[in-house]
Amino acid sequence: MAHDWQADFEQLVDQHQSMVFSLALRMTGDRGLAEEIAQDVFLELDRNLGRIENADHACFWLRRVAMNRSTDAMRRRRVRGMDLWVEMEDVHGVTTEDRGTPLGARLEQLLATLSEPQRAALILRYQEDLTPEEIADTLDAPLSTVKSHLQRGLKLLRAKAQSHLKEYVRDNKYAGGA
Amino acid sequence: MDEFESEMRQAFERRPAPPGLKRRLMEKRRTRKPYDSFFTWQRLAASLALTAILAGGLQWRNVEERRKEEEAREQVMTALRITSHALNQMNARLAARRRGSQD
Repeated sequence: MAHDWQADFEQLVDQHQSMVFSLALRMTGDRGLAEEIAQDVFLELDRNLGRIENADHACFWLRRVAMNRSTDAMRRRRVRGMDLWVEMEDVHGVTTEDRGTPLGARLEQLLATLSEPQRAALILRYQEDLTPEEIADTLDAPLSTVKSHLQRGLKLLRAKAQSHLKEYVRDNKYAGGA
Repeated sequence: MDEFESEMRQAFERRPAPPGLKRRLMEKRRTRKPYDSFFTWQRLAASLALTAILAGGLQWRNVEERRKEEEAREQVMTALRITSHALNQMNARLAARRRGSQD
């Protein structure tokens, strides 16, 4: 029964801090801002703990609020005329090594060139392993729109990866994959 | 799922949260709670005051509109009364002239 579940704030932070931080980081590209967003999201969770029904609901709620907060933060920064993805390396000193393989690092950089909705859909698809239906629920968007963002985003990313990553183009590793 | 997508999945693995995030969060949580309820009450009081001011303003406007309507009605009635009086006078004079010409 759903009501048997007791929300433990600290345990939820332990379980989901990496997820919330990673979502915010990939959406904004700014480690400092991502940490700020993560803190805000968990403080909001604390205020709404009584409404959380079970562990799955907590995870869904955190994903949704993290994505919303990240989008809001980017909008605010855009109004101020700041480019977040420039900050990732310049301000916070995140190096390629911190981001895993060179291709992985490049993919993360290329992700920043996509539109926000496409980025959001791809992050939820490949970081959180969500189905298009779950992504639509999380982003509160129509399923057809999410599917379109996923397809176009992936196609764009693949094309950009092909033109940017010379070693992969040379090997023709991903040719004809779309 | 093709090779590119599996590379994406690998590249987009969750990153560990910054060390100390939980500690900073718990500190913020401890210090924020009383302020939260304080600000909630403050917000509520401000909303109530604003609602009262708006309701008062609307009420005043209604009363003022009614007063102006009444004033306009009075002016029209006075104008009609004056007109009626003038017409009566005119009728009386015409009647007197008609009687004079018949005599």
